[in-house]
Amino acid sequence: MNPPGSLGDLEELEGEHLSASILRPSVHSDNPQERIQARRLRIAARLEARRREALGDYLDGKKESEEDQSKSYKQKEESRLKLAKLLLCGTELVTNIQVAADIRETRRRVEEEEIKRQRLEKLENEVKTSQDKFDEISAKWEEGKQKIIPQELWEMLNTQQVHCAGLIEDKNKLINELQQELKTKDDQYVKDLKKQSDNICLLLDRMEEQVKNVMKTFRQELHHIEKAFEVERQELLTSNKKKWERALQAHNTKELEYLMNRIKKVEDYEKQLNKQRIWDCEEYSLIKIKLEQDVQVLEQQLQQMKATYLLNQEKLEYNYQVLKKRDEESTVIKSQQKRKINRHTGNYQTSLHDILNNLRSKYAKQVKQFQEENQSLTSDYKHLVMQFKEVQKAMRHFALADDEKFQEIWLMNEEEVKDLIKRGFDVDRIIHTHHLGLPWTAPDFWFLKNVGPLSQQQQKSASQILEELLMQTGNGILKPEPACWSFGLFALLIVLGLLRGRAQCIGLCFIEEEGAEETASDPASYLDLPKQISAKTTRKILMLLCDESGFLIESKLLSLLLPLEKSECYLLRLDAIFSALGIESEDDLYKLVNFFLKYRAHHHSPSSQERMSLTPALEPAEQPDFEGREEESLVEREPEEKEAPASPRLIHPNAVLKILEAFVMGLKKPRDSRPPVKLRKEVRDNSKDSEYWQALATVIPPATQNLWDALYTALEKYHLILTQRAKLLVENNALEQQNTELQLLLKQYLASKINSELQVPPTEVLRIPVKSKQT
Amino acid sequence: MQESLATPAPSAPSRSFISIQDPSSTTDQVLSSGPQLSKPSVPPPVKSRGPNSGAGAHRLRRIIAEDAEWSLAIVPLLTELCIQNIVKNFPNNPILTQLLPEHQQKVLNDLSPDLPLAVTANLIHDESYWRRCCMHRWPVCHVDSHGGSWKCMFFERHLENLLKHFIPGTTDPAVILDLLPLCRNYVHRLRVDQFLPPVHLPPTPRSEDQSDSGSEGETEEPTRDHYQLNDLVAGLSQLEELDLVYRVKDCGMNFEWNLFLFTYRDCHSLAATIKACHTLKIFRLTRSKVDDDKARILIRSLLDHPALEELDLSHNLIGDRGVRAAAKLLSHSRLRVLNLANNQVRAPGAQSLAHALAHNTSLLSLNLRLNCIEDEGGQALAHALQTNKCLTTLHLGGNELSEPTATLLSLVLSVNTTLTSINLSCNHIGLDGGKQLLEGMSDNRTLLEFDLRLSEVAQESEYLIGQALCANRETARQRGLNASHFMSPLTAQGPENPSR
Repeated sequence: MNPPGSLGDLEELEGEHLSASILRPSVHSDNPQERIQARRLRIAARLEARRREALGDYLDGKKESEEDQSKSYKQKEESRLKLAKLLLCGTELVTNIQVAADIRETRRRVEEEEIKRQRLEKLENEVKTSQDKFDEISAKWEEGKQKIIPQELWEMLNTQQVHCAGLIEDKNKLINELQQELKTKDDQYVKDLKKQSDNICLLLDRMEEQVKNVMKTFRQELHHIEKAFEVERQELLTSNKKKWERALQAHNTKELEYLMNRIKKVEDYEKQLNKQRIWDCEEYSLIKIKLEQDVQVLEQQLQQMKATYLLNQEKLEYNYQVLKKRDEESTVIKSQQKRKINRHTGNYQTSLHDILNNLRSKYAKQVKQFQEENQSLTSDYKHLVMQFKEVQKAMRHFALADDEKFQEIWLMNEEEVKDLIKRGFDVDRIIHTHHLGLPWTAPDFWFLKNVGPLSQQQQKSASQILEELLMQTGNGILKPEPACWSFGLFALLIVLGLLRGRAQCIGLCFIEEEGAEETASDPASYLDLPKQISAKTTRKILMLLCDESGFLIESKLLSLLLPLEKSECYLLRLDAIFSALGIESEDDLYKLVNFFLKYRAHHHSPSSQERMSLTPALEPAEQPDFEGREEESLVEREPEEKEAPASPRLIHPNAVLKILEAFVMGLKKPRDSRPPVKLRKEVRDNSKDSEYWQALATVIPPATQNLWDALYTALEKYHLILTQRAKLLVENNALEQQNTELQLLLKQYLASKINSELQVPPTEVLRIPVKSKQT
Repeated sequence: MQESLATPAPSAPSRSFISIQDPSSTTDQVLSSGPQLSKPSVPPPVKSRGPNSGAGAHRLRRIIAEDAEWSLAIVPLLTELCIQNIVKNFPNNPILTQLLPEHQQKVLNDLSPDLPLAVTANLIHDESYWRRCCMHRWPVCHVDSHGGSWKCMFFERHLENLLKHFIPGTTDPAVILDLLPLCRNYVHRLRVDQFLPPVHLPPTPRSEDQSDSGSEGETEEPTRDHYQLNDLVAGLSQLEELDLVYRVKDCGMNFEWNLFLFTYRDCHSLAATIKACHTLKIFRLTRSKVDDDKARILIRSLLDHPALEELDLSHNLIGDRGVRAAAKLLSHSRLRVLNLANNQVRAPGAQSLAHALAHNTSLLSLNLRLNCIEDEGGQALAHALQTNKCLTTLHLGGNELSEPTATLLSLVLSVNTTLTSINLSCNHIGLDGGKQLLEGMSDNRTLLEFDLRLSEVAQESEYLIGQALCANRETARQRGLNASHFMSPLTAQGPENPSR
């Protein structure tokens, strides 16, 4: 009932409703988020409603208790009283039956008790009277016993019987009465039962009626009360509404008033603000101008200060420079002064020292530079040497490979050519023997026997040579075998080669060989002499060597050699000695021999020294033309060789060791320079090759070729004639055969029967020409 | 705002109305409530959704939360099928407590009320199921007379039925004892209004065993005894009320006096039973021909009972000796209600009762209707009431009381402040007595009911007394409103129930 509170509540409520209705998102919208939002709002609204409901209930109750004398209360009281009365009356009405039944029961009980009492009394009386009677009767029995007279007794018995009957009758009567009573009671009971059931029915009816009544009245009263409440509520609502409206109006007017006041105030404030703003603006501009002026003044001052600062700076800088220069000058002067003082005191020592130092440093620098250069160069050199060696290796490899290949190709071509030549010779032979009827001799050319490339013979090992040498010399037979002479020639040539140079020697050797072969007709006579001599001398030298240098042979070997032949013994000994001395090849052997010879010449004939000096002089002259000089040198050497055999004995056995030592020392040097020499050996001369191949090509002379040509033509003609003849022969044969066949056919025809049947038998016809022909 | 306040009308109370109202209306309500109950279990039929106002927006949405008519009943859910299966197999495989509450509810709604009690008794506690069971078995059900619990009602009535139709010697006692473990927690009250005797009744004279003790009756007439309750009652741990009538209903033309015999053996066993039952609060043994000796046996066993509050031995044959025993009981127990209506109590018995009542502090209600205590007894009681400060209800209807008692009672009325209801109907109080009572009433402010019907009191005085009672009631109402219904339960219990 407190208007402001409820008003506030209402306002709040309405406000909420409004806001809710405006803001509430629809539940039926398509956006699910919005729907969720809507449901949430709904739940919140429900909760709020419930809360408010509770609050409202409380308010209502309060209102009711406060409004004692309201219409509803009156109505309530009224109906309550009415209902209470109704209930009371109803229960009374219902219980009335019970009460009635109760009082009937009590009355019945009272009556019953009375009747019972009467009945009991009656029974007691009856008992008393019947007892009296019984006593009377029983007393009479005593009397009867005394009776003697039968009539009397009979009479008495009769009277007794009558009495007894009377007694029994009384009793029976009583019993009947009681039974009657019981019957009536039974009837009563049935009646009572009926009544009771009636009563119960009535009770039920009343109860039902009562229930109906009560319900009806309750409903009515409820209705009344509700109506009363409704009316009251309506009234309350209207009054509240009125109050609310009034309050709202008052509120509105007040608000309007406030609004107006506010507007006015706002205007006032605006005006004040404007005024203030203008005043502030003016003030601001004034202050601004003043401050700007101040700023300008200060800036001017600043510029001035800056100018003075710059001026001062430059001045100071200038001063600083001047001072610096002066300082420098002073230091220079100081140093000059010092030098002067030094010069005077140290007698130029210092100046010289300075120069020396300078030079030293330069020197060191240069040394360093050169060292570096040197190092680099040496490294370059080493590198190059390495490269060179590698290249040489490769070259050697290639040379070998080339050589091999060359040899193979050579052999192959040679074989082919020889095949061809052989065929040619065969053909030639056939032609000569068969066709020409001439005896044929096989031409014998040197090149036909040659196998392999035109090259030097393989070097023989020292021991082999030795063996050969010893065998030759040992046997003492000079055989003009090619091996022997070539050996001798070789030995000589090698000695020469040692003097001149390997290459030329070998080249010479080949040429010489070829030349020797070309002039194969007289090889022995030409080469015999030098060879024999040299063989002898060498043998002698070797024998000497063998005897003198026994120390080089192992003692074991010596013991083994004892049973052997002299020559074999020598051979083995020499072999051992050579192996000890390091002599391996032919060259070394000849070198040794030569050395011996030289040694002897050097020591024992001063003239030989001159010769030795002569021979080197001859060498350069020999180089340009080989063949011409060769002869000379050989000739020149021959006397020398001839001399040698005469003087081998001049070599003292004691000197052999010295010679050997010198030789061994000397042998080491040439060995060092040997590899390059060996390489050069591989270069072969191919000038003769063309000649060789040419010779091979022209092995059949042009004369024979011409002969062949003529023969060919003649043979062709002959062949033609022969073929013609053969043809004619075949023709002839065919004709002969034809002839015989025809003859056979004719015979057949003539022999047949049909001929006889014909008028003119063909035989006749035939016969005629045949005859005619025959004729 | 006001409308929203008035609208909430909770539906829950309407259901409770059903049971409170009278039987005639109850049936209607029950019938009408049947479909109401079953309604939630049946899904509403699928209605084709008509073209709504916002059809354009709704066309795209398949499920609309706000659509109250929408239902998924087209395809039965798996849960539905499972529940159906559970219901089908419930007797073999009772699954209930493992289910979710809503599924439990569904299962309970679908269960048949004919399921064996061995399965359901200790498993199902849901009232609606037991309600259905009760409705299914009995057309009329007063649940509030069974403590408001349908389950209790079911078991109580089931047990009562069994007891009613139990024939000693022929029926197997196991029938009842087997039920015991199932119903022991749910049976609070037993109201048995008939006990059948054994079938083969040997015709023996009834008068012989009257004066003898129980042992003799046992040997001679073992066949006439009724069902012995001791085993059953010992098993019922929650039993509070025992209402027995030893008689046969609807015997018709087979009537024999023997049928209505409460033997000594019955009496002894019953006495032992009620003595052993410590939870018993209300004991009623009515219309059973209980005479003085039997009453004494029973009452002796009830002495110093720890819980007994109400003893009803109405409509029996109890005389002064029995009443003397009852008077002794009053001082040896906490009895609140004693009903000896329609017995054979006379003045000496009333005097003994009055003697006990004078110092009693527990008895609230005493009923001596339809006895014959007469003025001597009435006067004694009135004297006792002068000192008693406890008794609120006194029924002395039909007791041959007259003026002297009335004068004494008028004195009591002016002094006593506890009595609220006095019934003196069917007495011979007389005009003077009425006037004296009126005088007494004028000083009384507590008495609410005073029945003086058919007691030969003047109309005028009766009316005046009625006025005084009205005034008293008003004040009592005011007091009740202020003291929050302090007196109302007593007043409601006070008047005799008219239906009895």
